[in-house]
Amino acid sequence: MHKIRRFITSCGLLVGSLLLLSGCQPLGIGNRQSQTIRISSLSTTESQILANILSELITHETQNKVTLINNLGSSTVTHESLIRGDADIAASRYAGTELTGTLKMKPTKDPEKAQKIVKKAFKDRYNQTWFPSYGFADTYAFMVTQETAKKYHLETVSDLGKVADQLTAGVDSVWVNHEGDGYPAFKETYGYDFKKVAPMQIGLVYSALAAGKMDVVLGYSTDGRIKSYDLKVLKDDRRFFPPYDTSVVATDQILKEQPALAPLLHRLDGKIDLDTMQTLNFKVDNDLLEPAVVAKQFLQEHDYFRKGAAK
Amino acid sequence: MTNLNTWQQLVYYFQHNGSYVLRQFSQHFLISIYGVLLAALIGIPLGIFIAHRKKLSNVIIGVANVIQTVPSLAMLSIIMLGLGLGTRTVIATVFLYSLLPIIKNTYTGMENVSDNIIDSGIGMGMTNWQLLRMVELPLSLAVIMAGIRNALVVAIGITAIGAFVGAGGLGDIIIRGTNATNGGALILAGALPTALMAIIADVTLGFIQRHLEAPQARP
Repeated sequence: MHKIRRFITSCGLLVGSLLLLSGCQPLGIGNRQSQTIRISSLSTTESQILANILSELITHETQNKVTLINNLGSSTVTHESLIRGDADIAASRYAGTELTGTLKMKPTKDPEKAQKIVKKAFKDRYNQTWFPSYGFADTYAFMVTQETAKKYHLETVSDLGKVADQLTAGVDSVWVNHEGDGYPAFKETYGYDFKKVAPMQIGLVYSALAAGKMDVVLGYSTDGRIKSYDLKVLKDDRRFFPPYDTSVVATDQILKEQPALAPLLHRLDGKIDLDTMQTLNFKVDNDLLEPAVVAKQFLQEHDYFRKGAAK
Repeated sequence: MTNLNTWQQLVYYFQHNGSYVLRQFSQHFLISIYGVLLAALIGIPLGIFIAHRKKLSNVIIGVANVIQTVPSLAMLSIIMLGLGLGTRTVIATVFLYSLLPIIKNTYTGMENVSDNIIDSGIGMGMTNWQLLRMVELPLSLAVIMAGIRNALVVAIGITAIGAFVGAGGLGDIIIRGTNATNGGALILAGALPTALMAIIADVTLGFIQRHLEAPQARP
């Protein structure tokens, strides 16, 4: 008899202390409160660093709490998460991808024009605000090892055409079926085909190339591993890949609920250039630092961009 | 980093990202425990109920069995359709997986209470409620506890997969490890604390379970 009472009291204590631990946040881990801002990010290193920078910036400079919704598989899922109200902010959206993927419009080769079109379309169609670029563009790029480049005298993507029938290519698994700038369109523009195309996780292509498992891969131009493996990036001489300027996207709803948010996010406008992004990526991919740790260091170095806050 | 071996990398990782791992650890633990607690809140009364209504028991345990056979990744995806991304989805998944061990053990525990003891309780003039509170529950508590223990260990494993729907937790570190160049150390950095958590949870609940064991079982 006293045992069961003891059991019930201990259960009660456990639940009680959990509730205490969790404080005012529902369930202690979760969401759905106006004070909690939800940021979604892709499974790429870059996106996770950017999401953590936003998260750190918001928690440091405001009273709001932040939940990260991490590891989303593609930009489509990210888009859905904002549309369905699972997230308030998307940490990294690439203008080129959205233009052809989400909006199903014709690709444009002019980054500024792309940015403008996407910004307007997202406002009109989805009530989402597209912020100015972080200051760097991430684009797909074909790369090879230095040895391969020397062996076949490769400088541009067109050069690949002569030897493409002997090469296996490792590519991002999402890219293969991309509308507009995917593999089918690529074959049309450049007029050749690889011997074999192996779709894989984008994070794996660099080491697959370095290990000699693939002859040529399609990766992101901002990845830190291009540096660490000393890879040769081939010039996109027919300008096939649309400009993928990287921006934050937030729902109009959260910007209205949290008026302090927009100026805060604008602090990052143009503050991260290509070189900075590569360095940050490198720290995570090579130096075993967590995106959260890298993000915090980055913001502390720049004093949370307080100086530029006025504009 | 390449000059260090995996274990040295692991130590380096924990030195530089310690607080982050700790945050993910508590997140992971909370998700698992909320799922199991919810399942216990529903499962134990349900188990008691079907122990008294034998005809229903086949149906309910059958349904719980079917839930258990759905692969966890499929379950996460199905629930994601309704609940969206984030922690809620993972808690719901853990909840569903925890139902079977808890219902089944509650049912078995109640079943195993000897009829003679119940009869003597009735003979003493106990009401149904008194019988449940003073005889059946104390005698089956250890078995029920074993079910919860089972459920929690499974839950910790399922929560690791929850990182795929953006819930965070230690699975996050494992996924990053599979994407990174030399991810061996990262995978271990996520997997070892997960295993450690499961072991600690199992040992702790085992300890509680032994203390709740029915007096008759002890000399």
